[in-house]
Amino acid sequence: MWVSASGVELEPVYHSHHVADGQRLAAGSLPGAAPFLRGAYPEMYRAKDWRIFQLSGFGNPSDMNERIRFLLDAGETGVIVKHDRMTDDHLYDVDHPDIVERREDVGLTGTVTVGLRDYETIMDGIPLESIYVKPGGGVPQSAPYTLACYWSAASRRGIPLEKLRGTGQSDFFLTYIGCPPKEQIPPGAAMRLNLDIIDWCMERMPHWVPVSIAGYNGADSGLNAWQELGAVFANAIEYLEAVADRVDSNYDNFARMIGGVNFRTSMDLFEDAAKLRTARKMWHDLLTNRYGVTDERSLRLRIHVVTAGSNMAYQEPLNNIVRGTVMALAAALGGTQSLGVSGYDEAMSIPSDHAHLMSIRIQQILQEETNITAVADPLGGSYYIEHLGQELERKALAFMSEIEKEGGFLSAIDSGWLLDQAARGQMEEVAAIENGDKRIVGTNVHRSPEELMPIQGFEGRSGEETWERAMRRLTSLRRERHGREATRRLRDLEAACRTTENVIPRVMEAVQADATIGEIGDVFRSAFGVWEVPMRF
Amino acid sequence: MVVARALRDAGFDVVLGGMLRASDIAQMAGDEDVQIIGLNVGGRIEVVHRILDTLDDAGLADIPVLVGGTIPPQAIDGLVSRGVSVHPPGSPLAEIVDAATRLAGRVG
Repeated sequence: MWVSASGVELEPVYHSHHVADGQRLAAGSLPGAAPFLRGAYPEMYRAKDWRIFQLSGFGNPSDMNERIRFLLDAGETGVIVKHDRMTDDHLYDVDHPDIVERREDVGLTGTVTVGLRDYETIMDGIPLESIYVKPGGGVPQSAPYTLACYWSAASRRGIPLEKLRGTGQSDFFLTYIGCPPKEQIPPGAAMRLNLDIIDWCMERMPHWVPVSIAGYNGADSGLNAWQELGAVFANAIEYLEAVADRVDSNYDNFARMIGGVNFRTSMDLFEDAAKLRTARKMWHDLLTNRYGVTDERSLRLRIHVVTAGSNMAYQEPLNNIVRGTVMALAAALGGTQSLGVSGYDEAMSIPSDHAHLMSIRIQQILQEETNITAVADPLGGSYYIEHLGQELERKALAFMSEIEKEGGFLSAIDSGWLLDQAARGQMEEVAAIENGDKRIVGTNVHRSPEELMPIQGFEGRSGEETWERAMRRLTSLRRERHGREATRRLRDLEAACRTTENVIPRVMEAVQADATIGEIGDVFRSAFGVWEVPMRF
Repeated sequence: MVVARALRDAGFDVVLGGMLRASDIAQMAGDEDVQIIGLNVGGRIEVVHRILDTLDDAGLADIPVLVGGTIPPQAIDGLVSRGVSVHPPGSPLAEIVDAATRLAGRVG
């Protein structure tokens, strides 16, 4: 039996009778019109190419600043700052015992910051008023610190908050389903921080996407295509109903603030292109049918895609340039608004300069040389694609019902149910690779007796010296700041955490008083406690 | 996780440590009287060598160590020369289970 990557049974060929009435109706719409199956905008890439949006970051803030300039010069059209995962995901200072023990790793997975001053260095000379920025804060507990630092750095340069364009992330999938850090606040507290961010942005930042649901992280942790769709929208439901409950009961006023999502594309080209089309339709249908939303900007789901890092093989890594191209093509055929292509050296390190450049070049070649940007939704109306789309939607809706039975998205995380679903997916994928059902060239088929295309893993500017430089910045910051002011602001923050007061203004005051990342983390851990990972093993 | 489950399915009694400091790994290895230690590498190789040094200092040098994860190719020889069993991404599970069985037999 032939099946798609997510297990949809495949016929040898498709005909009109494989497309159900609902899907046929949606396929008869135009791009830019409800239900947006065929695209978010009428002219798609004729009007605007997808944004080349690569994750980058390593070393100290000055290294990050240099890399941002390199990428902007190479033609990147937005900036994503990647933070050091050891310090940022945990909200630890660089002198925390766990960090000292792994000090050589500092700066390896992203740039290491100690406080607001470092954001001023990262963004030095970058035109914040005109470019689109994702300043980091990938995980919920670090988002308030990251956003407060970025927004404060911009304010200090005289750029009003309402002018800033960009997106936060604060995503649950990475650290509550994918790879939980050693210490993080419980999901309920994470949700509260996210609602504070959404509330703050609704009032002050019209061009900012406050949170983004990162289906990618769920998918690359083991959820298949329809599980990814179902979990993303289950998460959206949780946000929508919480905001309606707390801030504004009119969904039309805020639904668009929740409509920032990302998805993964992998090597099943047609399934993943179909998935992106279906995601737009599901979002439209969810908002209209369940919440009565009519505001067109809200109904139009904007999508960011990241190509599957886990599909990048360790063996014969240059083959991954081809894989990156196929996965990028899936994203473009599905009508993404922005795209990041994983580095070909993903399985061994963070991207080298060359791997990074290739990720950009892949996208530029698709945009400039292939003519795929000429016509919107080139796959629309294909019996196969429409059939795949309707099957993914059916299965995703069933998965959403399962999550609802588990008590909703947050409960499904807190109980470990979603983590277990992802772990099962990983096991199945490994089993399929082991028994040869899933074939990977150079790894389990067509394997060369010896390494034909060796490359070195990139080590960036991590190492003990990077950590030492961060330590020096931390020491100066503590010495030079007004200590009592920092302490007072942290106390105010803790008081806000313990009531229903919005914490964002308090985090802004704290970082502006040079409170450190670790001090903010200590406040959160003290106020909210630490989540016990519900690992089912 | 996948490797841990495979080892468990092969009859091993697996204890998951999580993100531990080297001293905690040594402590746990001693307390649980383990036959093998498995490390998931996600960073620079110096950190792995520090863990190995800590185990040596704790008198646990005879416990075989098995590593997987994102291992830069140029770091493999250094680990192998310290007697570590190295399994980069794409290694078949059967190979890892075989290695674990062989290593466990050596001390057992």
